[in-house]
Amino acid sequence: MLAAAIAVGLGALGAGIGNGLIVNGTVNGIARQPELRGTLQTTMFIGVALVEALPIIAVVIAFMSM
Amino acid sequence: MSDYSYMMRRQLKWMFYLLAILVLGWGFTDYQTFFSGMILGAGISAFNLWFLQVKINRIGQGIVDRDEKKRTLGMLTRLATAALAAVITIRYPEIFDMIAVIIGLMTPYLVIIIDYLFHQTELTTRKRGE
Repeated sequence: MLAAAIAVGLGALGAGIGNGLIVNGTVNGIARQPELRGTLQTTMFIGVALVEALPIIAVVIAFMSM
Repeated sequence: MSDYSYMMRRQLKWMFYLLAILVLGWGFTDYQTFFSGMILGAGISAFNLWFLQVKINRIGQGIVDRDEKKRTLGMLTRLATAALAAVITIRYPEIFDMIAVIIGLMTPYLVIIIDYLFHQTELTTRKRGE
């Protein structure tokens, strides 16, 4: 149980920090240049999706280990 | 329609093609446990993909409209759906294969990367104003 909690917690912590940095950059970019919204959103989408792959795997492994 | 809307449609289209191929594999081959696991994983991750696309679009619209409302990326929902897939697989191991579910959960990342590699030249070589 503890191992599962540590796996999910650390995975989510890292993803949270990464997502925060990505969203911060994108919000600044769109606020400065709203005409670039499509391109910036695409970059943000790819970044967020790839960052979240690890916590999803961590959740599955945590449930397997429980 | 914007680049982002095109990308959303393309990625969901490829996910549905993939799901159709998996259903064919489930119906016409002997590896039913594997393919049903892949269908479960890919179906849930297709929902996750759509949910992330919608959330990011709403965030972008909120910034452009100068909307003060608090918005989230919905990470908890996506983690919960992955947990749901894991729980279903652990509860019914005779129907779903765990490895196949994990492979299915990771398929949209392949779709995203391949789609980006195919279309990044369109995005970067276009002239300003086109």
